[in-house]
Amino acid sequence: MNRPFKFSLLIPVLLASATNAHAARIGELTDSSIVEQALRFFTFQDPTVRFALAGTILLGITCGLLGSFIVVRKMALVGDALSHAVLPGVAFGFLWNMSKDPVAIFIGATVAGLLGAAAVHLIRHTTRLKEDTALGLVLATFFAVGVCMLTMIQRLPTGNKSGIDKFLFGQAAAIGAGDLKLMAVITVLAILAVMLFYKEFLVTSFDSDFARSCGFATHVIHYGLMLLVAFAVVIALQAVGVVLVSSMLITPAAAAYLLTDRMHWMLFLSAIFGMLAGAFGAFFSFLGPGLPTGPFIVLGATTVFSIAFFLGPKHGVITRWFKQRSRSNRIQRENTLKSIYHVLENRSFVGESVSLRELAERRRETLEDARIQSKALARHGLATLHEDGNQIFLTPGGWQLACSIVRNHRLWELYLTNAADFAADHVHDDAEKIEHVLGDEVVRAIERRLKYANRDPHGKPIPSLEDVQRGAAPRARREDSVGYGSSI
Amino acid sequence: MTQLIPAFDFHQVIVAPWSQDAAGTFPIVLMGFLVGAACGLVGTFLILRRMALVGDAISHSVLPGIAIAFLLTNSRGTLPMFIGALAAGIVTTLLIEIIHRKTRVKQDAAIGIAFTSLFAVGVILISLYASKIDLDQECVLYGEIGFIGLEEGITLGGINFSPQLIRMASVTLVVAALILIFYKELLVSSFDPALAFSVGINASVVHYSLMCVLSAVVVSAFESVGAILVIAMLILPGATGSLLSQRLPRVMGLAVLHAAMSSVMGLHLATWLDCSIAASMVVMGAFLFAFAWIFSPSQGIIQRFIRSKPKLDEPPADLPAAEKSAVG
Amino acid sequence: MDSKRTSEVLSVPTPQPPESAAEVPLEIHDLTVSYHKKPVLWGIDVVVPPGKLIGIVGPNGAGKSTLIKAAMGMLPVSSGWVKAFGKPVKESLTRIGYVPQRESVDWDFPVSVMDVVMMGRYGHLGLLRRPSRHDRQVVLECLDKVKMLPYANRQISNLSGGQQQRVFLARALAQESDLYFMDEPFAGVDAATEAAIVTLLHNLRDKGKTILVVHHDLPSARQYFDMLLLLNMRVVAFGETKTVFNYDLLQATYGGRLTILSEVADAVHARESGNGR
Repeated sequence: MNRPFKFSLLIPVLLASATNAHAARIGELTDSSIVEQALRFFTFQDPTVRFALAGTILLGITCGLLGSFIVVRKMALVGDALSHAVLPGVAFGFLWNMSKDPVAIFIGATVAGLLGAAAVHLIRHTTRLKEDTALGLVLATFFAVGVCMLTMIQRLPTGNKSGIDKFLFGQAAAIGAGDLKLMAVITVLAILAVMLFYKEFLVTSFDSDFARSCGFATHVIHYGLMLLVAFAVVIALQAVGVVLVSSMLITPAAAAYLLTDRMHWMLFLSAIFGMLAGAFGAFFSFLGPGLPTGPFIVLGATTVFSIAFFLGPKHGVITRWFKQRSRSNRIQRENTLKSIYHVLENRSFVGESVSLRELAERRRETLEDARIQSKALARHGLATLHEDGNQIFLTPGGWQLACSIVRNHRLWELYLTNAADFAADHVHDDAEKIEHVLGDEVVRAIERRLKYANRDPHGKPIPSLEDVQRGAAPRARREDSVGYGSSI
Repeated sequence: MTQLIPAFDFHQVIVAPWSQDAAGTFPIVLMGFLVGAACGLVGTFLILRRMALVGDAISHSVLPGIAIAFLLTNSRGTLPMFIGALAAGIVTTLLIEIIHRKTRVKQDAAIGIAFTSLFAVGVILISLYASKIDLDQECVLYGEIGFIGLEEGITLGGINFSPQLIRMASVTLVVAALILIFYKELLVSSFDPALAFSVGINASVVHYSLMCVLSAVVVSAFESVGAILVIAMLILPGATGSLLSQRLPRVMGLAVLHAAMSSVMGLHLATWLDCSIAASMVVMGAFLFAFAWIFSPSQGIIQRFIRSKPKLDEPPADLPAAEKSAVG
Repeated sequence: MDSKRTSEVLSVPTPQPPESAAEVPLEIHDLTVSYHKKPVLWGIDVVVPPGKLIGIVGPNGAGKSTLIKAAMGMLPVSSGWVKAFGKPVKESLTRIGYVPQRESVDWDFPVSVMDVVMMGRYGHLGLLRRPSRHDRQVVLECLDKVKMLPYANRQISNLSGGQQQRVFLARALAQESDLYFMDEPFAGVDAATEAAIVTLLHNLRDKGKTILVVHHDLPSARQYFDMLLLLNMRVVAFGETKTVFNYDLLQATYGGRLTILSEVADAVHARESGNGR
């Protein structure tokens, strides 16, 4: 688990040092076209761009890391409440010396966030109201207080131009050098905390009762995490805005949750996704005048989540659908091979090809269906088609698969009749299903149990392992050579 | 600081709004009351069903519905707005369901993902088509209840009832009527879905109907209080009511009372501090909640404090008999 | 007959402090716990002897889980105290192992079997320390003991109920404790796992560990445990299984609810009188 963390610790340090240039505010770039703006963005010459990008990336890392714990602790909506609750703190911080002093706003917002968390805790423990109600209540009330204060500030002569309203939806271009330094400090703090207290966070998140029985102070760890989350929310305010910060905590982490089964990889992926979303938002809000950054960051995060949701290798919806489809296609192919084998077997393996008509009759389907199936076999290199696709020859690979399927089927039938005392006419349907999923080892074990018997309950020969490996029509057995001419 | 908080002038703050500017004040207070009452009635059921945060989600995600309705019809008509909001509300509910069902992401995270994404789409649409959509970002957040009464409508007794006001009044009445008619279904399916199923109430129909009503209420409240303060309007009245009573009809009555009181008090607070009226109403609503929280005769903090220590000198009556000496 | 049996129970000797170990693993004195002003446990007085496998039995809502949680100092208590190994329980937590109920955790959590068992070592690690090679070795051994070694790198949601319970047991083993609390370790596991767990518990007991197990199945409780603690809000009886497991005391423990269990109880009663015990 160490590698991803060490690696990620480097990023904020690099960013913070690289962008230690002079600050310049955006504003004079409003007339340039989208393409020009995009070019400007990617040359990184504009300090505003560098500041915005560095800031959004830093907050992406912090929110991603802490958000992972938020998601696995099922506290997603606590993050939401906390992020709305900081608004009055932002206003207080601003009132402290009537300017957007990052430190004052940071302190004010953190205090407000923690007050909000405490209020939720109090309401839950002293009333019958449930957690969701308490969260919604605190969220909206604190937000309303914040809105009251903001409208009062904007009425003031100095307040009007302060840009404090940018805290609602975020404007990455407004990130200054002071903000950036604060962000770097918090990011390093978050990464260090997660690295140093990884096992404490892990065990309390997974099983808090057990953690307490080991002597961990779960409340301290919980509130420590809440404090870090409050920090993360506050540094994200400037770029993402109060309303949408919770998305940065939840969405990248949820996307990572879909992609991995290990906490440390989830933390790493989530931080990466947060960075990507941050950069995405910084870029798009840079393209046009007056575009807020927050919603674009959220869209970036949602895009990542959607990709994980649809295409994730394990849990992706489309991936699972494809897997299911390819499985049913495989079963379909194997059944066709088996039918070809049966046709040839009925002819005592005289001749090497099967006509489409024979196949269709055997499978009781139309010629057209048989043609589609034979083409599928050809596509997978299991058969070759001749005479305009009317004659099907099995390739060595096709023979191998056909023999092993028939072998699985007949061994299973024999096993059920011999070992499990099923009647011989009751075993076919079950064998139809299991023949596609039996593994090599199981088949060999069954064969051993059955003492290498070579006839199924219906008296048909069971292809041997040699037959399967040879990749051709099975040879007649020595002891029952009657009626089975070799085709080779 | 004196610039920020004006001196409290009793006449200016308490009397003047009603004596000098009644025609301006009354529609605002009435609107605040109607929004609070409609939201409070629906919100009581949300609280009961532990869906307060689904309310939060829907109140955010009606925004893209409204924005798209604006863009498509180029008007601020009532019908397109309602349809847009309903669609957005249902999309949100479905999205939450799908994310929660199809993956191992838990419901809380699913709610968070769904509403932030939709809200972001809404904000982007508004800022991209700022010239076409008659909404600004701040209005989205805390509404413009002060301008509600300005449009010409029906004048009664010297007071102008603007179309918005009339619309909100009809929504409130419809909500109250629906709750009255379907009270039994709502109650049963909220308390015990299994029982509801056994007496033939389709819980998911009730669920989605409630979501539709919620979307309708949220969208009609949207103009006056914005997307986020709506949450307060949804939760505060019901929460305050349930602190004071345990019986549902009484809780709903208290919720309506709460809406009226916070509306009036909020107006005066906003007059005094000269800040957002809708936010002030919420702040006063929260004040009322805190008041109930502290002084409630049945579950208030003070009451709790008085009865804090249980009497544990005597064993409880239903304790099984046992020979103490048998204890090892 | 009845009076004789009762007197037998009454004369259950208070377990003597063992000469060798010289310390009592668990001593609970006058413990009372209440939830929302209603008492859940009342005046619990128990002195647990070392090297015993003890079942905690009682009806639903009798406070079985509450008792072990309170004994570990995880719940606020209204009165009384708990000592483990002669010290306040908070100071001897490193010598206590715990198996919570399986449903108490989210099995979708992104950790592997190995990670979960490693959590058993966390209590010994202390702040800022990371698991060493020795810890890893212990974890692998514990996994082997519960036959879960082949699954070490699996994500925990891909396990059956019995396998999940084995993982929890392995984690408790990794704690290398002298006193174990287990909350319904047999709930929802397959027969093979149940047998394996019993063997494991007996092995632990034979090594001198003390194990308290919350259990809800009466007939098997009789077979599995050396001693039984019959609990219904208060301790109804605590003693050797063969003395405590009788009709009267079970009746006293389960009260009116014994009707549900009357078949079991009748069978027990019949067997006991048949055996002339």
